Amino acid sequence: MIEVIRHGFYTSVQDKGRFNYESYGVPLSGALDQQSFRMANRILNNNPKAAAIEITIKGPKIRFHQKTFITLTGAKIEAKINGLKINNYIPIQVLEGDILEMGITKNGCRTYLGVAGGIKTEKVMGSRSQFHGLTREDRICKKMLLPIGNSNFVPLKRARISLPIRDYSKKEIEVYPGPEFDQLTQVQKKNLLNSSFSLSNLNNRMAFRLKEKLKNELPQIWTAPVIPGTMQCTPQGSLIILMRDAQVTGGYPRILQLNNKGINFLSQKKTEDKLYFKLLSRIE
Amino acid sequence: MSTKLFRIIPLNPTALLIEYNQQPSKVLLEKLLSFKLLVEKQAKVTRCVMGYQSLIIHLNEEIKNLSWWKNHLNELQIQIKKVKLNKAKLWKIPVCYDNKYAPDIISLSKALKLEIEELISIHTQTKYRIYFLGFLPGFLYLEGLNKRLHFPRKENPILNVPKGAVGIGGKQTGIYPNLSPGGWHLIGNTPLTLFDIKQNPPCFASPGDWVSFTSIDQKTYQDLEKKIKKDKFKFMPHD
Repeated sequence: MIEVIRHGFYTSVQDKGRFNYESYGVPLSGALDQQSFRMANRILNNNPKAAAIEITIKGPKIRFHQKTFITLTGAKIEAKINGLKINNYIPIQVLEGDILEMGITKNGCRTYLGVAGGIKTEKVMGSRSQFHGLTREDRICKKMLLPIGNSNFVPLKRARISLPIRDYSKKEIEVYPGPEFDQLTQVQKKNLLNSSFSLSNLNNRMAFRLKEKLKNELPQIWTAPVIPGTMQCTPQGSLIILMRDAQVTGGYPRILQLNNKGINFLSQKKTEDKLYFKLLSRIE
Repeated sequence: MSTKLFRIIPLNPTALLIEYNQQPSKVLLEKLLSFKLLVEKQAKVTRCVMGYQSLIIHLNEEIKNLSWWKNHLNELQIQIKKVKLNKAKLWKIPVCYDNKYAPDIISLSKALKLEIEELISIHTQTKYRIYFLGFLPGFLYLEGLNKRLHFPRKENPILNVPKGAVGIGGKQTGIYPNLSPGGWHLIGNTPLTLFDIKQNPPCFASPGDWVSFTSIDQKTYQDLEKKIKKDKFKFMPHD
């Protein structure tokens, strides 16, 4: 069991996501940066489906009620166990009563706290990912007790898995043309692909909105299924990139589509961060 | 082919969009439902999600050869005539239209220049078709709202639309499955639960089914609400 003493800015339990219920209107959910999430489970030799804690910008303070191993992946974060600094991307042993205190994320926006055996909160429709109206709580809050799994994990003495620390300062995001991309004029396409954009403060697990607008006369579409990574363009020109908690259907023209790599990367961007889009050719 | 029946667009390496070159209709809905059934049986397909005129097909492997998929999907399309869809059910949803449960019914009836009774009678006389679910877990996209009840959404959505609220927005009517923000005019409320995580499937109705609304009084609403709370009510469809 782990006990939440302070919950941080926005902290939630996440796993790979909730598949197969989109036809009932249920969003996919799951860790926004799936790559860092996967890494946390790999370092602890967990089942790849084991749930972890997703930390946004400011981390929580937690107490361990049992001995286990933990790891931190994704954005670099100041973290201390009983006051002693710990590093990211390595397995760390914690003992009963230990207190893990985390500060602010440094080179990115989201850090994953993996626990050996995984977080074992309730599973709803095949997933432990917290979501409003599905799981009892939509995020982690003070005083919560989170059950954790059992694991016989022992770090290999000599093995130092060398993991590539990702560079989140890059600004380029690869995109595919979306279904309505071809309806944009040459000028609009040029503006979309040759300008730098910045992230507005409207960015959360559902969607990231850009500050800049794209003037357009695109017709509305009949409500259609959408997937994470879809960039919608509203009649007012707002550019909205759907993330993993997004609705499963939408009615705005879909001009670009990020791949998983792009979604993972964007998850590490903060308000005001700059980005630009590099168009990939359509898959053939 | 002069005009293509649908376009096939790869969205990302594991998702294909199929978009029919037709306006939404009963015929297209049945085509989409049949196609979904066929496509979901394919070994390389994990699941399929519907909209008014399109489907997204999720694959369990990356697209290596798009023309293979195009041919394959075109061949499947030919077979949809043979698909036998489940018989559509009719769900008569009890709704209380009393002011207590209908904060906007007076203002909407005034704006539509209808008596409240007329508004209720038009709303309850229609059989609506479920096209698909989306927007919120358990939210049904219903088609068939009488033109006399079409009215633009509120300019400023409210934050706390109660669970079960029945609303009108634009050309649509629908039920809010849970407490959520919303911009529709609220004309009633149903004590039924549209989305229940404890049930499998979580929603009683499916795309292709029909929905109609039955007006109930406050007493009936409250009795029904109690029964539902105690798990003593089983909602059954009419064939």
